[in-house]
Amino acid sequence: MVPAVNVTFAPAGFASASRAPAEHAPAGPGLTETPADQVLAGGQVLAQEAAAGIGIYLPLVLLIVLAAGFGVFSVLLGPLVGPSRYNKAKTAAYECGIEPSPQPVAGAGRMPVAYYVTAMLFILFDIEMVFLFPYAIAADALGLWGLGAVALFIATFFIADFYVWRRGGLDWN
Amino acid sequence: MTPTYYLLLSALLFSIGAVGVLVRRNAIVVFMCIELMLNAVNLSLVTFARINADLGGQVMAFFVMVVAAAEVVVGLAIIMAIFRTRRSASIDDTNLLKY
Amino acid sequence: MNPFLAQQMQTVEAPGIDWGAILPMVIVFGAACVGVLIEAFVPKHQRWSGQVVLTLGSIAAAGIALGAYVSGRPEHGVVTMGTTLSIDTPALFLWGTLLALSVAAVLMIADRSVEPGGSFVAQAGIAPGTVQDRAQVQSTGMQTEVFPLALFALGGMMAFTAANDLLTMFIALEVLSLPLYLMCGLARRRRLLSQEAAVKYFLLGAFASAFFLYGLALLYGYAGSVKLADIATAAAGTDRSDTLLFAGLGLLMVGLLFKGSVGPFHTWTPDVYQGAPTPVTAFMAACTKVAAFGGILRVLTVAFEATSWEWRGVMWAVAIISMAIGAVLGLTQTDLKRMIAYSSIAHAGFLLIGTMALTDEGLSGTLFYLLAYGFTTLAAFGVISLVRDSTGEATHLSAWAGLAKRSPLLAGVFTFLLLALAGIPLTSGFVGKFVVFSAALSDGMAPLVVIALVFSAVAAFFYLRVVVLMYFSEPASDGPTVSVPGAFTTASIALGVIVTLLLGLLPTFALDWAGAGGFALGG
Repeated sequence: MVPAVNVTFAPAGFASASRAPAEHAPAGPGLTETPADQVLAGGQVLAQEAAAGIGIYLPLVLLIVLAAGFGVFSVLLGPLVGPSRYNKAKTAAYECGIEPSPQPVAGAGRMPVAYYVTAMLFILFDIEMVFLFPYAIAADALGLWGLGAVALFIATFFIADFYVWRRGGLDWN
Repeated sequence: MTPTYYLLLSALLFSIGAVGVLVRRNAIVVFMCIELMLNAVNLSLVTFARINADLGGQVMAFFVMVVAAAEVVVGLAIIMAIFRTRRSASIDDTNLLKY
Repeated sequence: MNPFLAQQMQTVEAPGIDWGAILPMVIVFGAACVGVLIEAFVPKHQRWSGQVVLTLGSIAAAGIALGAYVSGRPEHGVVTMGTTLSIDTPALFLWGTLLALSVAAVLMIADRSVEPGGSFVAQAGIAPGTVQDRAQVQSTGMQTEVFPLALFALGGMMAFTAANDLLTMFIALEVLSLPLYLMCGLARRRRLLSQEAAVKYFLLGAFASAFFLYGLALLYGYAGSVKLADIATAAAGTDRSDTLLFAGLGLLMVGLLFKGSVGPFHTWTPDVYQGAPTPVTAFMAACTKVAAFGGILRVLTVAFEATSWEWRGVMWAVAIISMAIGAVLGLTQTDLKRMIAYSSIAHAGFLLIGTMALTDEGLSGTLFYLLAYGFTTLAAFGVISLVRDSTGEATHLSAWAGLAKRSPLLAGVFTFLLLALAGIPLTSGFVGKFVVFSAALSDGMAPLVVIALVFSAVAAFFYLRVVVLMYFSEPASDGPTVSVPGAFTTASIALGVIVTLLLGLLPTFALDWAGAGGFALGG
């Protein structure tokens, strides 16, 4: 049995509009036409999946290549572009059990506070993506109202950004 | 493969998280256990969404992720503030308030 | 055709929004966002005045919008924003209560006369105990983010009391909790205690909301929907296991009872009430209690009325435990803020009795009790913030000995408030207890009412102990001084005292309003 993959998006409130039918049509071989009464996109995609064969995995392969490429690129970027300044501590062999240097002192612990701010900012944008992605999937279906709603969402999001920016949250030092 | 196994896994993860909150000493670890509980719930939600053939559960999982992220930001800020004061994130050290 | 473009062009209908009904909430949230922008763009020395004007103005505007809507509201309430919010009579009553209480709380937060610069830290980033920290205690600066945070918390509370489904309730719960966690850690003095309170409140609060969420997931599995009305329908007939229903209800209630600081889920209350800055304690004690019990009332009445026989026994036990803990442990306290915290736990037990009644009298009685209790406890914390020595507030009981000789007015006001908390006639506390207990009696909970009366008597003892201490002891020579409050705190305390007195003498109008209609079950 093929799992029901439903690509329409609906906020929790409109669950009734998006309830997948229980009797989901299995995608048999050679079934290239969608029945007229089948209104859900999921069935359509699945039907075409079966017809296209292995070809449909191409985007997945591309995605994997892109992801691997991005990883390699990011790792190489630092050594290639950044300045390489060595000091004694950097070249010294790592030994366990010795006191880490510099010692944690009040106000600046083992890690610069700036890292935490960056991490928190990352989470902000992370959250934004969580909502923008489903919206992008269903943008057509949601129409102008959806555009207004997501614009309002981004606008509220930017209020927080303005605050962080004006209070120096984006300055590394 | 019945979805019930996912529900059991979710209950197990939730319990591990809950026990972790009760027995661990480090505030950050306690906090991570709470995150584990929230994500266990997410697993439950998507499993029930599958069982109920209803998208609502999946969307709810998004909302839970958002809340979890907001909690991370607030929680890290508070824990960091007390860490900088005491240079320790042990919740056993926060013992000034008692009767 | 590319399968990834095989999009369905089916349009999703936009949810209907009744802007008139949700306008008060929109105003509060909008003002909170503007408050954040003020923090971002307005120079430091103008922020305080800007924030105070904005916060009080927006609460007043929300109150006016609420008043305008109430006069022409539909009788059975309206379900709006899709089906996520249910604006019915209890919700509107609680909104009114929350807005009125938060005016008083914001006045206390804004006060800068009792303590120069207010009771909030000048810069939260300064580590306690350092040179900078000693400097900030003397400075007149203040972390004015408190105001938008308070507005966000208020908006979350309003959404919480009107939530028509559990997901909205969960989001609202977080929106009201997260700002409170932060506000708890912002005291100007005794910052270690304050930060500790914030950590405790945060960790335990997040723990409790995880339980709420798991309950939500199980109920979603049971009913196939998180709408309260759908859960009620499913409970009437479904093939799913009842284990899901009752496990879900139990976990859900853990989260809700935690917020209401009830019974065995109260452990955070004394610590947080003691450690948090007193205006924030007042805000939490009054408004969070109102919001939490509004939520409990709605969940129990709308979604679980049909199964009340199954859960009522457990709730009896919870109510008894709550009253016992509050009344008995309250006796042993030596710190006034902790004592009021235990008193709030006992009151949560009384409130739970009214909540369990599930009748119209129970509903209106609980709503009235919330209104009355909120103003009394708010004013009590206001008075506590006035008695100070060189290190800040003098909350230890011994410091209050003989206070009547130093300041008869303050002692008189505090005595009146304590009597209201104890439930002495001619105060709102008496009327609140009376309506709640009589609703419980008529719903067949006589043994519980008897137990509640016993614990009221026990609790009255520790209130009276403070009164005796204030009037019949000799003041210590190095005792605290009573600050002369500025206009803001005076207004706040006066509001609390006047409402406590009015509701005690003429409770009818508020009772009528509270009993004007039930929950909207539609959606």
